[in-house]
Amino acid sequence: MAVAKESHSTQPASDASMPRRRLLAWLSSVGLFGSVVLAAASNWFFFKPRVTYGPNARFAIGKPEDFPPGTRISRDVERVCIAREGNKLAAISTTCTHLGCIVGISDTGFACPCHGSRYDQDGNVTGGPAPKPLPWFQVTLAPNGELVVDKNSQVDPGTYFTL
Amino acid sequence: MSDATKETPGGLAVLRELPSNVWNSIFRGPLPSTDLERSSTSFTNFFLHIHPVKVNRNTLRPAYTLGLGLISLFLFLILVVTGVLLMFYYVPSTTQAYDRMLDLRGTVAFGIFLRNMHRWSAHGMVAIVFLHMCRVFLTGAYKKPREFNWVLGVVLLLVTLFLSFTGYLLPWDQLAFWAITVGTSIAGYAPLIGKQMQFVLLGDTTVGQEALLRFYVLHVAVLPAVLVLLIAVHFWRIRKDGGLSRPEKPADPVAATGIVKMRKVYGLQGFVRGPFTKVGNVPDDSVYSWPNLLMSELFVFVLTVSVILVVSLMFNAPLEQPVNVMHPPNPAKAPWYFLGLQEMVSYSAFWGGIGIPGIMVGLLLVTPYIDRGTKGVGKWFAKERLMANTIFLTLVTLNIIFIVIGTFFRGPNWTLVSPF
Amino acid sequence: MRLALAIAAFVVLIVHGVVFYDQFFHRWERHQTAYFEQARSLSKNERERAELEARAPRIEQVIVTSFGDTRVDRCTTCHLAADDPRFTGHGEPLKTHPYSTAMGDVFRDGRWERRHKFSDFGCTVCHDGQGRGLETKYSHGEDEFWPDPLAGYVTQANWRKDFAPKLKGVEYMESNCAQCHTATDFAGTPNVNRGRKLFYAMNCYGCHKIDGMSEGTLGPDLTEAGKKFKIDYLWESIVEPRANLDTSFMPKFNLSEADVRSLVIFLKSRRGVNFAETSLDRYKAHVENVAVVIPPGTAGEKAGEQLLADRACTACHKLHDKDGGIAPDLSYEGLIRDNDWLTDHFQNPRSRIPDSIMPAFRFPRDDFQRLSAYLVSLKTPPAAAGAETTYHDLCMRCHGEKGDGNGKVAWYIDPSPRDFTKAAFMTSKPRERLVTSIKNGVAGTSMPPWGRMLKDEQAGAMLDYVLQTFTREPLKELKPRNLPEKNPVAGSKESTAHGEQVFLERCTGCHGRKADGKGPNSLDILPHPRNLRNSWFVDSVTDRRLFESILYGVQGTAMPSWIDYGLTQKDVGDIINFIRNINQKSGSPQYARN
Repeated sequence: MAVAKESHSTQPASDASMPRRRLLAWLSSVGLFGSVVLAAASNWFFFKPRVTYGPNARFAIGKPEDFPPGTRISRDVERVCIAREGNKLAAISTTCTHLGCIVGISDTGFACPCHGSRYDQDGNVTGGPAPKPLPWFQVTLAPNGELVVDKNSQVDPGTYFTL
Repeated sequence: MSDATKETPGGLAVLRELPSNVWNSIFRGPLPSTDLERSSTSFTNFFLHIHPVKVNRNTLRPAYTLGLGLISLFLFLILVVTGVLLMFYYVPSTTQAYDRMLDLRGTVAFGIFLRNMHRWSAHGMVAIVFLHMCRVFLTGAYKKPREFNWVLGVVLLLVTLFLSFTGYLLPWDQLAFWAITVGTSIAGYAPLIGKQMQFVLLGDTTVGQEALLRFYVLHVAVLPAVLVLLIAVHFWRIRKDGGLSRPEKPADPVAATGIVKMRKVYGLQGFVRGPFTKVGNVPDDSVYSWPNLLMSELFVFVLTVSVILVVSLMFNAPLEQPVNVMHPPNPAKAPWYFLGLQEMVSYSAFWGGIGIPGIMVGLLLVTPYIDRGTKGVGKWFAKERLMANTIFLTLVTLNIIFIVIGTFFRGPNWTLVSPF
Repeated sequence: MRLALAIAAFVVLIVHGVVFYDQFFHRWERHQTAYFEQARSLSKNERERAELEARAPRIEQVIVTSFGDTRVDRCTTCHLAADDPRFTGHGEPLKTHPYSTAMGDVFRDGRWERRHKFSDFGCTVCHDGQGRGLETKYSHGEDEFWPDPLAGYVTQANWRKDFAPKLKGVEYMESNCAQCHTATDFAGTPNVNRGRKLFYAMNCYGCHKIDGMSEGTLGPDLTEAGKKFKIDYLWESIVEPRANLDTSFMPKFNLSEADVRSLVIFLKSRRGVNFAETSLDRYKAHVENVAVVIPPGTAGEKAGEQLLADRACTACHKLHDKDGGIAPDLSYEGLIRDNDWLTDHFQNPRSRIPDSIMPAFRFPRDDFQRLSAYLVSLKTPPAAAGAETTYHDLCMRCHGEKGDGNGKVAWYIDPSPRDFTKAAFMTSKPRERLVTSIKNGVAGTSMPPWGRMLKDEQAGAMLDYVLQTFTREPLKELKPRNLPEKNPVAGSKESTAHGEQVFLERCTGCHGRKADGKGPNSLDILPHPRNLRNSWFVDSVTDRRLFESILYGVQGTAMPSWIDYGLTQKDVGDIINFIRNINQKSGSPQYARN
C-alpha cells in the first residue's frame, strides 16, 4: 500500500505502466462487481425460505375407499374440500379468494362467513366480493395406494382425478 | 448559468435528457481530475466527507498502522451485515434456538457460510482491536492531544468484548451455555454489586430463557448502537486531533524565518489544521485523500473480506450438543478471550476475575494522563518510550500466556494436562 | 498495491462463486431426480409420468408434534421412495421402508398398508438421528455432538472401537418401540423384556433405582438412563464398571454379550416418562413411591430356597452350583451364622458389616425370615479333609489361591481379606490372636467365626498351613511392651475433646475426617486404613490392643508408630476415649453407606 509518489495529481503515468494499471483496475472492478452481483443473487436465495414450518403443502388424505361416492367433506387443517362424484375426485381450496377466511360448505356450494362471498359446488363465484373462483388442487394416487393432494399444483376447475 | 434565460425544454427533450438529469442530480460533479475536484470530494459527498482533503503520507504507510483500525471497522461492517441476515432465521428461545441453528446449517441457502463469516469475523475483530490497541500504544499515539481518543478506544474494546460475549450464548449449545455460565459467574465476584449485577445481566439466578433474551437484545440492538456511536466519535476525534499520529518533522528552515505563521487560515485548505498551507512553499508530505486514502481503504476492505471469505469457506463454526443443564462439560471453558481471566480466577476468584482485570483496564485508561512525555510519538518502539512500551508489552504477554495456558494446558477439573 | 488489490478482488470473486455453487446441487437433489427418473420408468400410466416430469427437487419434511417435543423430520428428502412399494429391491436411499406384520402392517387387496404412517410418526421417533439435517453426516447422527445417532446403524467416531461392532443391529431400535409399547411381554421388544428380567435376575434392582421398578440407592438412579447416556456409555458401564469412575464398587457381573445387549437396550428405553403414560400417571407414580414390583415369594417348605432363586442372590453369592463371583459362599451359612445375625444382616447389611456393599433390599419381613431360616438350615459341613483342601474350600474365595488377599471376591470386601504373605504383619502377632481370628472371626468384617464348624485342632492346623505356605517366616519373639490393659485416662468430656483434636490433626489423612477409614490417602494404601466407626470391630478389640496399634504402629501396614512422632500415652488415651465415644451403642444405626 505504498503511497504512490506519482499520485494522479502530479505526474502523468508513463506510457508503459498505463495499460498495466488500466488492466489491473479493470480486473479489480470485474472482480468486485462480479462479487457484488453474486452476493446480491445469494441474498435472494438466502431470503427465500426453503422450508416453512407449517403443515405440508403436499399431503395424503387416505385411501379412495375412505371417500365413498357423494362425499363432500372439508378438511380444516389443510383448508381443502374433498369431493367425490362417482369415480371422480376433486380437491377444492376452502380459502376464500377475497381476503383469506375459511369458507364453509353450504347447501349450494360454499359460503364465506367473513364478508359473505358465495360459491357454487365447483367453486365458481355466485355472489359477494370474491374476485376469483376457488382454486382446485391436483389430486394424485401415490404408489402406496393413498390419495395425495398437492396444494402447490393447481389444476383448472373442473379437472377431476379419475380413479 | 441562470435558468431564467433558458427556455424550458420541450417534451421529447425532457425524456432524452432524463438519464443524465437523474445522474447529475445524484452525482453533482464529474469524476475528479483536477486538484480542486479532488479536494471537493471531501465536501460534496456524504460518505466521503469523513475524510480530510489531504492526509499525511505517514498515515498511509502500511508498516505504520498495519491498517488495523480499518480492518476492525470492516470486520464490524461484515458482522453487522451477516448478523442482520442471520436475524431473519434465528429465534432467541431456549426451545427453538438450537433447532434454528441446525436449520441455518442444513437448509437455509448460504446459512452455514453466513454463520461462519459471522463467527470468524467476531473472533477476528476481538483479536484485531486488541492488536490495534497495541499498535496505538507502541507508537505513542495516545499522547496529547489524543488522550480522549485513546480512552474512547479502550471503551470500544470493552464494548467489543461484550458484544462477542453476548453473541457467544445465542447458539444455545453446550459450548455457549457453559461458557457464559462461567463468564457471568466471574462477574458475580465483583465486590458489593457483583451478585446484583449478575442477576440483572441474567434476568434470573441462572442462565436460562431470560438470559438468552437479554443477551440477544444487547447483542443485536443496544451494543451495536453504542458501538456505532462510539466509532463515530472516535473518527471525529481523529479528524479533530489532526489526523493519525506521525513522527515529528525535523525543524523547518523555511518556517524558522518567520515568513509563515502558523495561524488559522479560513480558506478551503485551511479547514484542516496543520501545516498544509501552500503559502510558505513548505515541503509537503501530504497527499490527497482522493484517490490515495480511498484506494488504501478499498484495498484493506477487499483484503479483509477475502481473508474472511476464505476462512469461512474452509472452517465451520462449531455447534456442539444441545444444552443439557445437568451435564457441564469437563472442563467448562469461557470464550478464548476470557480464558486468561478464567486461568487467573482458578487462583483467586476476586483478584483473577475482577481485581487484576480492573486494575489493567484502569491502567489503560489512565496511561495518557500520567505519561505526559511528548517524545517518541509516531514511530514503533521509540527509544524515548522504552519504559512505557516495556510495561505494556509485559502485561500483554502475560495475558497471552494465560490465555494459552487456559486453552491448551488445562484439562478436566482444570488440572494441568499436556496438549501433545 | 494495485496488483494485490486485483488479486484480492479475484479471490473474493472466486470464493463467492465456490460458495454459490456449493449451495446448490446438493446430494439430496441428485437422489430426488434419480427417484423421479426411476419412478417414471416404473410408471404404468401417462398421467403419472407427466406428474413426475413436472416435479422439481424440493425439501420434504414431516412435522410431528404428538410425541414430545416438536420434531421436524427431513429424512424423506433423500429417502423419497420410503413409501413407494415399487422400490423394495433398490439400494438405499431409494429403498422402500420394509413392511412387516410384526410392525402392525397389513397386507390387504394386494398391497401393504402401513400401521405407523410416516405423516403421523415421522422417522426419528423410531430411528433416532437428526431430523433437521440434510447431509448424511448430520442427519444420521454421525456428528459426535448429536446425542441420538441412528439407533443400531450408526456408531460415532469417539466411541470405543472394541464396542462399536456390538452396538450395531436393528434390535437397538426396540428402546424406541418401548416408548409406546410398554407392556412387559410385548412381542416386538424381546430385548427390552429380557433386559427387564435381567434387571431383576442379576440383582441390578438392589442397587439401582428405576421409578416404578426399584428403590436401590447404592448406585446411580437409572430412571432416565436412556435419556442421559448413549449406548456406548451404557455398554461400557456394565462390562467395565470402573471405566468412568475409579472408586465405583459396582461388581463386574458374569454376563454374556447377549445379556449385556438386552440390558443396554432395556436401559436405553428408560427415559423417565414414556409416551404411553399420561402426565397424571407419572405424577401419581412419583407421589405414591411405588415399591419394588417383585412378586411375593412362594410359601411352604421350599419357600426359602425358591426365594433365593427369585431374589437372585446367586448373582453375587455362591450356593450349590451357582456362583456370582462377587460375594461370600453361602454353602455353610447355617454353621457359621445364626438366625439373629442373618435377619439383621438381611434387613440392613451394614448393621453387621459396616462397609459391606450388599444392598438393603426392601423385601417384606416374611421374606427375610424365610431366607434366614433357609440359610440357617445349610448345616452340612464339608467332608473332613486336610488343611490344604479346607483352605481351598473355605478360605481361598477371599484370601486367594496365593494367600495374598486377592481372592475371587476380595475386591468387593471391605476391610480387605488379610494378605498372609505380608510377613511383617503376620509374624508380629501373637499366635493366640491369629487362632482367635480364625475361631471367632473378626467382628464387623466378613471373616466369619469358623470355630463353629472347625475343631480347635483344625483351626490350629489351618493357621500352621497358612504360615508355612504363605507367610514362610517363623513367628517372631515378641518383645513385652509396657502397655496398660485398660485405658488409664478417664473417659471425660475434656479427654474426648482432646482426643478428637489430636485425631483431627494427625489421623484424618488416612482415617478420614469422619474416622471411617476413607481419608484421602486411603485409596493408595493396602490394607485400607481401619474404619474406626465399625462399632462391632472397635468393641471387640481391647484398649491394650488399641494402645499398641497407635503407639507402636502395625507392622506390615501403613500405620506408623506414633510414639516416634511425639504422641504420649496420655494423648493416646484421649484418642481411645474419642474412638470409643464415637462407637457408643446409642441405638441409632451404624454409619451406613445408604
